[in-house]
Amino acid sequence: MSEMWRVIDTGLRPAAQNIALNRALLEARQAEEIPSTLRFLRFAPSALLGYHQSAEQELNLDYCRAHNIAIQRRITGGGAIYFDETQLGWELYLHKRDVGTADMQAIAKRICHAAATAISALGVDARYRPRNDIEVDGRKISGTGGAFDGDALLYQGTLLIDFDVGKMLRVLRIPAEKSSDKAIASARERVANLKDLLGRRPDLALIRNNLTEAFESEFGVEFHEGDLTLTEHARYRIALAEIDTHDWINLVRRPASDMPVYEAAQKFAGGTLRVSLTYDRLKHRIRQAWFTGDIFVSPRRAIADLEAALRDTSVERLEHNIRTFFAGRQADMLSLTPDDFVAVMQLAVKQPIAASSS
Amino acid sequence: MASVKGCNFPDDLYYNVGNNVWVRREADGSVVIGMTAYAAALAGRIVSCTPKKVGRSIELNKSAVTVESGKWVGPVKSPVAGEVVAVNNALASAPATINSDPYGSGWMVRLKPGNWDADSAALVTGTAAASAFEAKMTAEGFAGCQS
Repeated sequence: MSEMWRVIDTGLRPAAQNIALNRALLEARQAEEIPSTLRFLRFAPSALLGYHQSAEQELNLDYCRAHNIAIQRRITGGGAIYFDETQLGWELYLHKRDVGTADMQAIAKRICHAAATAISALGVDARYRPRNDIEVDGRKISGTGGAFDGDALLYQGTLLIDFDVGKMLRVLRIPAEKSSDKAIASARERVANLKDLLGRRPDLALIRNNLTEAFESEFGVEFHEGDLTLTEHARYRIALAEIDTHDWINLVRRPASDMPVYEAAQKFAGGTLRVSLTYDRLKHRIRQAWFTGDIFVSPRRAIADLEAALRDTSVERLEHNIRTFFAGRQADMLSLTPDDFVAVMQLAVKQPIAASSS
Repeated sequence: MASVKGCNFPDDLYYNVGNNVWVRREADGSVVIGMTAYAAALAGRIVSCTPKKVGRSIELNKSAVTVESGKWVGPVKSPVAGEVVAVNNALASAPATINSDPYGSGWMVRLKPGNWDADSAALVTGTAAASAFEAKMTAEGFAGCQS
């Protein structure tokens, strides 16, 4: 008989409650108080920072405050996201023995592959994209991240169902175009929504069912529906008292001026190529790049894939990473060359600090 | 220095094998702690590192530092109890130093230990540490540290 795991749905909650439940369930799994668990969750409108991120650097705080968007810090890694009722969250709480390896990247890849299978069963071609995205034709549909404590693992993901890309651009400090129409059009080339892809809003119960079955198949287990236990409630109350505070949200504080947005544009034989990027001055790394311009690139997804490959790249590795990316794939770019991408990015990061904007 | 599946384990350090951390006692009685080469290899390139602040007390086997790699966040659990007296500030701008030099410039925090004699009795060192890590690597299906 298959091992029994638990599936729970904690419904729509404010961010602080959802993150306190992350802590509570991870602790409970580590203490062997609960079986391995799949949890579904939804969020009231929230801007969620990665554990090591600073709100000042990642978010448009004035917009969040003016629109009652809660700001919270996850216990998991990765980048800031906007999360609201139009997305479904899924999380696995596992023991290391469930996954058969201690290699963290291998664990993430295995879980993402299973989630991609579940999303594909809805009628789209979802795939895992290193390092931690699930994408449909180059457009991100699910971002993921994890936390561990001893032998217990939490791995979580979002799933975009009917997502407001414009709102995401206003909440997050993304190096997109200044014009909101252009930025929204560019963002739609990078982010996919199940409703847009399917032509209808898919049934939440069906999505939950697909994810449950995909994880059952991946791990050779059966899920039974359950509720939070008394010990989880007790751990949750303690966690909430720490997490629903300014101290937790401000655990990491760095000024926005240490993460400037740099821009450059250059005319090449293949067209004008523009890049806008966020640059981490402390670590000398490119956090996120955003390419636009009157260029022809086929397939179109090559641009989004390049941006994904260049996330968190040191300046020294920039040229190498761009060349490695293009060496490993077919892309028709007319006269545009990998050298042109190197040149425009190097131009952007060479901007004098004094000329940078935050 | 012992090498197990390509991962180094200096003989003069004490280890908590389960938590994959090392500790070195200094001449002044303070201790320095960090992640082992094996822990760093499992994590992959470390992109962020936040130590507990100077002055904070750390309980035995509780988190002294939080690290992030490949979007995974987790604690580095202190092999001894004590008060944080210094942190390696250089890791804030260059956290991957933990991968490249885990026992040297990748040290994480310095503690004033509360009870070194009692806490260190539970730690392993020298060849005993090497064999304990070899058993752990085998149990976890680890291929080896890359040079």
